[in-house]
Amino acid sequence: MSMNVNVRATGGIPNWAKALTLPIILLVIWQAWAMTLPETSPAPAPLKVVQSFAELTASGELIWATIQSLGRVLAGFAIAMVAGLSLGVLMGSSRIVRENLDPIVESFRPIAPMAILPIAILWFGTGTPAALTIVAYAAFFPLLINTIHGVSRVDRQLIRAAQTMGLSRLRTVLVVIVPAAIPSVLLGSRLAMGVAWTAIIAAELAVGAKSGGGTSGGVGQMMFVFYAYSIDLNGIVVCMIVVGVIALLIDRLFRLVEHKLLPWRN
Amino acid sequence: MSVQMIHPKPAPKLRLKGVSKQFVAPRTGQRTLAVADFDLDVQPGEFICIVGPSGCGKSTMLNMIAGLEKSSSGTIEMDGKAISTPGADRGVMFQDYALFPWKTVRDNVGFGLRHGTAGAGMSAADQEDRINHFVEMVGLKGAENKFPHQLSGGMRQRVALARLLANGPDVLLMDEPLGALDAQTRLVLQVELLRIWGETSAKADRKTVIFITHGIDEAVFLADRVVVMSSHPGRVSAVLDVDIPRPRTEEVRLDPRFAELSEEIWSLIRDEAYRAIA
Repeated sequence: MSMNVNVRATGGIPNWAKALTLPIILLVIWQAWAMTLPETSPAPAPLKVVQSFAELTASGELIWATIQSLGRVLAGFAIAMVAGLSLGVLMGSSRIVRENLDPIVESFRPIAPMAILPIAILWFGTGTPAALTIVAYAAFFPLLINTIHGVSRVDRQLIRAAQTMGLSRLRTVLVVIVPAAIPSVLLGSRLAMGVAWTAIIAAELAVGAKSGGGTSGGVGQMMFVFYAYSIDLNGIVVCMIVVGVIALLIDRLFRLVEHKLLPWRN
Repeated sequence: MSVQMIHPKPAPKLRLKGVSKQFVAPRTGQRTLAVADFDLDVQPGEFICIVGPSGCGKSTMLNMIAGLEKSSSGTIEMDGKAISTPGADRGVMFQDYALFPWKTVRDNVGFGLRHGTAGAGMSAADQEDRINHFVEMVGLKGAENKFPHQLSGGMRQRVALARLLANGPDVLLMDEPLGALDAQTRLVLQVELLRIWGETSAKADRKTVIFITHGIDEAVFLADRVVVMSSHPGRVSAVLDVDIPRPRTEEVRLDPRFAELSEEIWSLIRDEAYRAIA
């Protein structure tokens, strides 16, 4: 028999098991409590949540809603990326542009994405266009701020070194400034994707409310229907879990991309 | 006619005449004279060290020769032609090495060849050969695929040196390149620097070097001539010939002449050095 290399010196319990112990105990307590309630109670219970998840998955509803929400996030993120990167490079490399645009950017930045929803609905109607506007708006600022930061903080000594090797201005931008700004842009992307995902759920919830369901779609709208029409708390918990897991996956995915693209950092 | 041409005085590689640099503070408009009336002729293949108290304008002087900063007055000529912009004919080794952190050792060494003017007209294979040559020369074989953050200070310094040499500049401008290293590594690299510079070969094959340092013993060990600067404003207070024969080895440090020259330089800057910390 070979030794298990994963076993730590402290008691031999693997780390993942330690991490799961408390959550499992809490789930058991939750379930035990739920079982003391009458069968008709709307209170969510772990086993009912699992059952609800299975049903929603089997019917394809949950998967379709998730795809819809994710599609909007990606589209909104793409819009924000184009706008945030181009404006960020401009503002990061030119002091005149930065000094003139900074007051405008800084006065819009504290306005929460949801606060522009009324205008978005009035202009673009309910459904996808309004949701996209919110997502793009939310994702725009982290991308912009981090791109400006990345471009303006490029080590001046590296630019000077390139000059002494006879690089042209354009070449210096391409092979020195852009690569030097990438870590900051990736960080901005990760943050932007996180807020975009949060914003889409909120936007779908709200747009769903306005339209009375049916037109907006997505996980947020699904939650709204569970809340306003069927009063299905188990379904809401399923949606909450899906939202959380996807946020986690997005974050992990970006960290993985950062790790792959930036082998020269740590 | 040809008889008189047997020992012609070589034209200077670099000629600095009355070079001054004035900085104007952006808001107050206050003027500071960083370098005043700097005169120096540097012969081809000569190793010049510039020493002086911190803030005496030695880095500013080097940046002006590199073309990274403009002089306020005076002329800087290389091979008889005025210099005002950076160019690959003058390679710079920066104090903090200025290595590209996202590039491996190999790609840092090859940076100027691939992206700059040094590699123009050179085939990719020739570039690779040249990179290999200098990677080996500075003793980095085996570390080619590492990133700068994985290297020790001494190894980063070697990468910077290989990158500098790979570009094949006529003049090497070095801004305290050994300043950030520990004392032992410095001593080792001083000897190695002289070897790579080509101390053992003919003088005609050597590069012209301007080397800035605050180490007096380092200057005496390396240089053909030591330029001593004083500060406020930075100007040349003395130029000393180092008449210690080459090739120089560790034993040179025990030479009485080595101590004499070091003492002489120290006496020129000690007053200012004491004043600076008083």
